[in-house]
Amino acid sequence: MFKEFEGKTEKEAIDKAVEELGIDREEFDVEIVNKQSGIFRKGNVKIKVYIGESEDDNGAVDDFEKKIVEYLETLIEKMGFPGKGKIAFREENKIGIEIESENTGILIGRKGKNLDAIQLIMNVYAGRLGSDSRVIIDAENYRERREENLVRMARKSAEQVRRTQGSRLLEPMNPFERRLVHTTLNELTDIDTISEGDGLYKQIRVLYRGDVR
Amino acid sequence: MEKDLVEYIAKSLVDDPAGVEVNMIEGEKSTILELKVAPDDIGKVIGKHGRIAKAVRTILSASATKTGKRIVLEILD
Repeated sequence: MFKEFEGKTEKEAIDKAVEELGIDREEFDVEIVNKQSGIFRKGNVKIKVYIGESEDDNGAVDDFEKKIVEYLETLIEKMGFPGKGKIAFREENKIGIEIESENTGILIGRKGKNLDAIQLIMNVYAGRLGSDSRVIIDAENYRERREENLVRMARKSAEQVRRTQGSRLLEPMNPFERRLVHTTLNELTDIDTISEGDGLYKQIRVLYRGDVR
Repeated sequence: MEKDLVEYIAKSLVDDPAGVEVNMIEGEKSTILELKVAPDDIGKVIGKHGRIAKAVRTILSASATKTGKRIVLEILD
């Protein structure tokens, strides 16, 4: 169950919720619905407050969320690596679930291979439940760490090809990772990036273009 | 156990869960799992360009690292 509150700032909206519901800040989850700012409506923030029902402490608030968390937990248990799934975030058409387990290392796998496979199956299952939300599965903040690594690695390769005035072929990456590398290096006018190969895991070639205007 | 795992995943993806059947053939170093589903459901366990089948195989081999045994998944049609 959730209730909506509005305030001039996020804090004001939360304070209102605390006062009206008579519960502590730690006892509910807050989702920011919209931050409006314009000439006439100056910085109005609307929040959604989730109360009760998240009794399983996994943060699931509706039937769909309960089902996918349960599915994930059964799946990893049957893999032999039992753990818990928790709703980590909700965005428009996107829902994040975090795995807590003693075996996160193997559940993530080399370059996130296992995490990606679990995520793919979870998304097919979510689609079958009639959801149009994409499910993002994470563990130990792996997704964010991987993004940071990729950006760093992309910049390093760009420096290298600039120095050698040659090109460099990067490791195979999934579409999401490739897009991140393409956009990171898009800012550099003397560097080009192209995808090579077939299938889901293509490789990006980073090449020096010189000072073309 | 891996047979259970394949059965669970397959049943969650198909329209006809009763049509899911997994046979296990155990060898010394590797185990072969034969997955059979209703004819109309084959595409659902294979996926476009074999993406789903590949993900299932990845999940299986992650699971098999416990025992060190190689797992081969065959989808019968």
